[in-house]
Amino acid sequence: MSLAAFPFLAFFLALGAALVVVLDAVARAALAGAPAGPYLAGTFRHAAMRLSGQLVTTEAPDRANWRLAPAWYGALAAAGLAVVPFGEGMALIQLPTSIVLWGAVEALVVVVVFLHGWSPNAPFPLIGAYRYVATGLPVMLPSMFVLIGAALPARSLDVLAIVESQREMWNVVRQPLGLPLFLIVGLSLTLRGPMDYADSADLAGGSSAEDSGPARAMWQAARLAMLVAFSAMAATVFLGGYLGPLLPGPLWLALKTALVLELMVAATHLLPRMPVSRMVTFLWVVLLPVSFLHLLAAGLVAL
Amino acid sequence: MTDALFTGLSALALYAGWRVFRVDSMVRASFWLMISFIAVGGIGLLLSAPYIGVATVFMMAVEMTVMVLFMVMFMMNPAGLNPMMMVHQHRFSIGVGVVAFAGMTAATLLTDLPSNPVAAGKAIVHDLGIELLGDSMLIFETAGVTLLATMVAAVILSARTGRFGDAVEGSVPPGLEPGGTPAGRVPEKSGGHHHGHGGHDHGSHGDGRSDHAHHHEGDGHDSGGHDHAGDKEKHA
Repeated sequence: MSLAAFPFLAFFLALGAALVVVLDAVARAALAGAPAGPYLAGTFRHAAMRLSGQLVTTEAPDRANWRLAPAWYGALAAAGLAVVPFGEGMALIQLPTSIVLWGAVEALVVVVVFLHGWSPNAPFPLIGAYRYVATGLPVMLPSMFVLIGAALPARSLDVLAIVESQREMWNVVRQPLGLPLFLIVGLSLTLRGPMDYADSADLAGGSSAEDSGPARAMWQAARLAMLVAFSAMAATVFLGGYLGPLLPGPLWLALKTALVLELMVAATHLLPRMPVSRMVTFLWVVLLPVSFLHLLAAGLVAL
Repeated sequence: MTDALFTGLSALALYAGWRVFRVDSMVRASFWLMISFIAVGGIGLLLSAPYIGVATVFMMAVEMTVMVLFMVMFMMNPAGLNPMMMVHQHRFSIGVGVVAFAGMTAATLLTDLPSNPVAAGKAIVHDLGIELLGDSMLIFETAGVTLLATMVAAVILSARTGRFGDAVEGSVPPGLEPGGTPAGRVPEKSGGHHHGHGGHDHGSHGDGRSDHAHHHEGDGHDSGGHDHAGDKEKHA
């Protein structure tokens, strides 16, 4: 693929983000038993308020990192999506180790969210940043195990080969624990729902508590972009990516991405949220052994 | 194209490496170092090392995050946004730097470097895996277990219920200027009552500690409390 891929990837991210905005409003309305219209209008009103709002600053912040954090986050989302193949041999970044590149994107998200919370030089964002590292780093381990597990049947670290290995059977069938574990990783990557520890309401906004005006809108937009990139990756690794009959590959990938987005939005609004200390214990004591067993099972099946 | 990328990435690696020693915060220094390593990882990709190049990026991202947290924890510098001197032993380090730079430059220029480009169809990642789990297995497993032991030790040292008693005991933030009063909240005068309880946890200072606690709060502390003791005398 060539330079023409860039506007296409941007369009894909924007379309996915718009879908999430709608889904979020619908989910909130359904839980409240109210029509979705006002919720959706509220989202747009909120965005317009942010975009036209004033940029307020704190005392002695690390201005460069604070302003750049949404850009880093968005860039990571774009880099993650660039690894995803939209058809046979149609990935912007083609590497024999492209799944490891996605892992690098995940690891750098932890850095970016930490910097975003650290740079305003204020208590709530900093607590959010520390919380995120405490939960985000242990989530990296299940993520690596899940991705290695998905690479086993393909006998390759290339995402293209991982998709091709699912021609007979999707990974979601032969590795049933993989997708649920990976969805938890995605919730952590996008600071959503039960893994919402960086930007949570109990910290008055956490790492974005001091963000104001367009900066805050940009951060939210970057979170949505990362959610879309993650969902495309999950659809690729577990739901066969672009594979499918009749329809062209990119459309299949878009449909499967939309399905994962719906799962993610449902998880955001339906799953309970634990206190951060209990979640850290859960991640180390339950999730890590489970993901290890998952890797063992995936290895035995692949043999 | 490759030459331009190599030049750009090398320049970024050098610039970021230089920034590591010029910034005044551990957090900034660590993440500049990470950027330097990411640039080196990119050079690895150019050198047909797709696994090592990309793995460098994610290893360094995780490693630098952990390093930042542990440094901030052990240095007791809240958040690392307080400006601080990041370099020491100036003359010695300048000397070492000059010698190391001259040595490595000489080694690079004087060595007759081979030129054998990797064949297009070579299974690089496969061969690397065979090497890591074959001849080099002992080296890598030894390094891995050593690193694991280091991490466990670091966690034990930084745990609240550490070897030397509760972590809250005797931890005083550094002064805003050398020898100044500790940053943050000043401990209350009635703190002696609290310390009396602390004496039960580790009895090395005996019962006399709680008697003196009201007058010389710092005396009863472990090594962490020495600055504090000096401040108390000034106040008195």
